Amino acid sequence: MKFIVTSTALLKQLQMLSGVLNSSNTLPILDNYLFDIKNKELTLSASDLETAMTTRMAIEAKEEGVIAIPAKLLLDILKGLPEQPLTFSIDNKTLGIEISSDYGKYKLTGFNGDEFPKVPVMENTKSLVLQTDALSRAINKTFFATGNDDMRPVMGGVFFEINEDNLRLVATDSHKLVRYGRNDSGGEAASFIVPKKPLNLMRGSLGSLKTEVKIEYTHNNAKFTFDNVMLMCRLIDGKYPNYEAVIPVENPFKLTIDRLDLLNSIKRVSIFANKTTHQVRLKMGGSELHISAEDLDFANEAQERLTCTYTGDDMEIAFNSRFVQELLTNLDSENIYIEMRAPNRAGIIRPVENNDAAEDILMLVMPVMLNS
Amino acid sequence: MHGLDDRTIVHMDLDTFFVSVSRLQNSVLNNRPVLVGSSSDRGVVASCSYEARKFGVHSAMPMKLAKRLCPEAVIVRGDYEQYSYYSNIITEIINENTPVYEKTSIDEFYLDLTGMDRFFGCYQWATELRDKIQNETGLPISFGMSKNKTVSKVATGEAKPNGKKEVKRGTEKTFLGALHVNKIPMIGEKTSHLLRTMGVEKVKTLQEMPVELIENLLGQNGVLIWKKANGIDTSPVIPYSERKSISTEETFESDTTDIVQLRSVLIAMTEKLCFQMRKEEKLTSCITVKIRYSNFDTHTQQERIAYTSCDHTLIKKSVALFEKLYQRRMLIRLVGVRFSHLVQGGYQINLFEDSEEMIKLYQAMDRMRKKFGEDKVQRAVAAGLRKRTFNPFNGKNS
Repeated sequence: MKFIVTSTALLKQLQMLSGVLNSSNTLPILDNYLFDIKNKELTLSASDLETAMTTRMAIEAKEEGVIAIPAKLLLDILKGLPEQPLTFSIDNKTLGIEISSDYGKYKLTGFNGDEFPKVPVMENTKSLVLQTDALSRAINKTFFATGNDDMRPVMGGVFFEINEDNLRLVATDSHKLVRYGRNDSGGEAASFIVPKKPLNLMRGSLGSLKTEVKIEYTHNNAKFTFDNVMLMCRLIDGKYPNYEAVIPVENPFKLTIDRLDLLNSIKRVSIFANKTTHQVRLKMGGSELHISAEDLDFANEAQERLTCTYTGDDMEIAFNSRFVQELLTNLDSENIYIEMRAPNRAGIIRPVENNDAAEDILMLVMPVMLNS
Repeated sequence: MHGLDDRTIVHMDLDTFFVSVSRLQNSVLNNRPVLVGSSSDRGVVASCSYEARKFGVHSAMPMKLAKRLCPEAVIVRGDYEQYSYYSNIITEIINENTPVYEKTSIDEFYLDLTGMDRFFGCYQWATELRDKIQNETGLPISFGMSKNKTVSKVATGEAKPNGKKEVKRGTEKTFLGALHVNKIPMIGEKTSHLLRTMGVEKVKTLQEMPVELIENLLGQNGVLIWKKANGIDTSPVIPYSERKSISTEETFESDTTDIVQLRSVLIAMTEKLCFQMRKEEKLTSCITVKIRYSNFDTHTQQERIAYTSCDHTLIKKSVALFEKLYQRRMLIRLVGVRFSHLVQGGYQINLFEDSEEMIKLYQAMDRMRKKFGEDKVQRAVAAGLRKRTFNPFNGKNS
């Protein structure tokens, strides 16, 4: 088998797939990329048995065939080569691979491509079509809020809730929560939890693409197809917590404030907060918001005052400043609302301006219990 | 920069602190032998007045023996709240005036005055600070001053009661040499006895012994003792910081295997510590349970947890740790709980696990406790246990 490919084009595709590769694999074949050539088209695959990703590119080839090529060696040599055509000659019997560049030849041994795990065939799939930029935005707005607790694997992923005419992505680590909704796309009703790894791969490969993504899903797998890429993953098994039940409905106290002013103020004040708990206090009354933090161990203290619009009783509420910063950073409106009811109840953050009418974002952060 | 030998360290120690505080409240106790501690037979003397010391009573002595030695002594129960109240006032005064200080116990401080001699001399300065503390609190306090912590501490001991003493630079060895060996910190009854059997009575003899000899006798500690005896101590004054753990333990009236009682005591102790953490806005991430069998075998188990100050989480953990620990069917003398790795902060409420009702319940209970007293609201399992608010041995809450 023999084919010719441009070094940088190949590298670009392989780098996109490299996020799938684990640093240590139970099956040695998983340390390889699968090269599959049919009709002058090269299909590249990587898999860790949970997540599989493939991408396609046109090449010059006279024969068809499959081979698995050691990923690390291949990536390293491609990174060291400037743009130029490379010739791959593969001995189908010995699986010896010879790569010829302008500079010389490199030899390595591949694996039998038939040993590479096959992507499972999905049956009885439901599907939905979405703009790539909408999906990219939905993932970026929720991804950061996922949890890392091994004891609660379901929170380690993003919850997709699909209905006929709307779609929701939800993420929470039980201290903060993001609910991202869109009412301009929908599909056959279903809900599933997508692990972090494939979502992170999606974030990387969606980039600034302007096209459509097709999401196909069954009860245990999901498949994302866009451009020349296919990504398939196993879903997280388990029941996602009833997030709707914990989002308080009645929040009579409402604060309206410039998002960046608040974010920057919290960033400055939290420098003086305790280094473990990052606790900051928000005290509102009239049209003023006082932000303060202290670290008794070092006698550090900070206070700032911001003007805002506030309707509600005077109140003091404390948060882990890290959570609030993350939420505010991941919003992009100029102003935000913070809706509250009591110092021991969730604070709900929403954007004031909304450039995209189809979008609905709700962020929630739980306070810390104050000694009243 | 100052070298280690040019330092000026002051050691301040309140005289019979617990007794003095009790006397502030009740002048009847003045000029009479006073014992502070639990009057029960298993209690120990936490502190005693100089009048009582004449009878041979000393702190940490069993109360039963102390009563026999000095039958006319007035026995006062300790009041930790008062002690920490006064201790905090004194800490505040020292904090306002001193560049660097270390609080080693409720009534003991080390002050690093290096460089302060540019004013009117350190001795004058320390005397003024001592006068200020006495004027503002009415409590007698003594201090010793020298170039390091050990010599200053010994000097304070010599200055007591209600006095002051400076050991001038270069005279440390002579000052220590004239004293009895048990005046050196670290030399307790056992070491003192051992040294006496070797004919070492005065520190001077200890100073003249080769260090290797003491090392052979007492190991690494011997070297430290020898250095202290020679007035060598390079340990720095470590600035006072918030305490990083809280703990409590209870020695039973009589040793027990009553699992139900042990569990309720443990739950009561955990509940109480949890309240204290919430009161001070602290969180723990490490819980330790300790048991001591009747033969004094002591075992502990600890576990790292996510930061919390909630009863329901910590009680579950302490009971689980206790069950892991209590494996031998033997009488238990003592149980204890400790929360360490404390940090400043309120409990981060969990979106799914904590209900609004529960958080409100904690806040309501804590408000009642603050208003009407710590023991007014508690879990039913812990109700009916004997109330103890003071552990006479270490002067800490129990």
